[in-house]
Amino acid sequence: MIGDSASFLAVGAALFILGGIGFVTRRNLILIFLSAELMLHGVSLTLLTFGRVHRNLEGQAFTIFILTVAACEAALGLSLILALYQHSKSLDVDLWSKLREADLPAPLLALDAGEPPLETAPSPAPLPRLAPAGLPPIIDDDFPAELAATVDARTIITPSPPDDGEYR
Amino acid sequence: MTLTAAQGTMLASVATSAVGMWLALSPRAMRLRIIGAAIASAALVVAVTALDGPRGALDDQILFWLFAGSALVSSVFMVTSREPVYAALWFALATLGACGLFMLLSAPFLAAATVIVYAGAIIVTFLFVIMLAQQTGYTFYDQRARTPAAAIVASWLLLGALLWSYQQWQNEPVNVAAGPALTADANPNPFSQPDSEATAHSMRALGRSLFGDYLYAVEIAGTLLLVAAIGAIAIAPRRAEGTI
Repeated sequence: MIGDSASFLAVGAALFILGGIGFVTRRNLILIFLSAELMLHGVSLTLLTFGRVHRNLEGQAFTIFILTVAACEAALGLSLILALYQHSKSLDVDLWSKLREADLPAPLLALDAGEPPLETAPSPAPLPRLAPAGLPPIIDDDFPAELAATVDARTIITPSPPDDGEYR
Repeated sequence: MTLTAAQGTMLASVATSAVGMWLALSPRAMRLRIIGAAIASAALVVAVTALDGPRGALDDQILFWLFAGSALVSSVFMVTSREPVYAALWFALATLGACGLFMLLSAPFLAAATVIVYAGAIIVTFLFVIMLAQQTGYTFYDQRARTPAAAIVASWLLLGALLWSYQQWQNEPVNVAAGPALTADANPNPFSQPDSEATAHSMRALGRSLFGDYLYAVEIAGTLLLVAAIGAIAIAPRRAEGTI
């Protein structure tokens, strides 16, 4: 069926898998992005091979769109990384694991038996928090009503709740 | 169930590359990690040899193994390298290898475009950000991988399954009639079918396909580039907020 194209497909699969393993195991934000680009290479190679097997140009046209989306992804991802870096002064992805939902477990930092836990950087200054998804916000009943009528609600600054401290 | 020689070679080399990858990702001495990465990449190349390579002229075969080998070796070293700058450079080499394979698949325009976009633009931008954000070079979070054993088990199971099914496909033709029936007419896109074998992989045919069948998609992709550029400018930190 696919004849001598099987080895091209195998190289594409290996590139995809290697990119995936880099995506899961690396802890540097930039290298996680690079691994995603490696996965895209594997997919492009597979698409081109199948296009040649079927003797048409759909694979090449798809790969051009992959290239376009990869360029967009790199631009947006790198500007996001710079914004995150400016807040925490570190490229460690574990610093941002608090962005998960409140009811999800903490990320795995050492799954392999006998290995010491991974060291983490000191947490950056806590960000202001939203109410957890699915929970009603806590409404301060003591806030005087006549004051609330005169004050713009957006200017009232409430302190962020105390850190749960599980991840220092 | 008995395994043929090719199947046995493939499974054994996939297992060997998993062991090498585990050595390369574990917190061990530098030399042992490099040996592990070398074992992993060599075993991956051997796993590819278990499938039918390109037949035909000798120079085609030599070029295939050159490009495939460089792509696999440099991507293994990219994933296991502890220096982000070296990882970016290994990624550029992997891109060059993949582009050589694109060329062998008779897609010369894509090979050139990928070299220009990846090696010329994306890698340079990545290196720029690495040097901007991580000037010390050594960081503790590059030294240890997160959950290497579990990641290797999961992804190498996927790799083994993929290679196994590719090997099955090349031995026995897929029975199309046995698959699920199509519920609608599956007409091929008219402009993507080349007139003859000679024009099949020319730039002209690719342009006809892109601006014939995929005209709206090309317009949307151009809009996407514009939106991404505006978004990148909006997200990136301002000078007023303090420089990096």
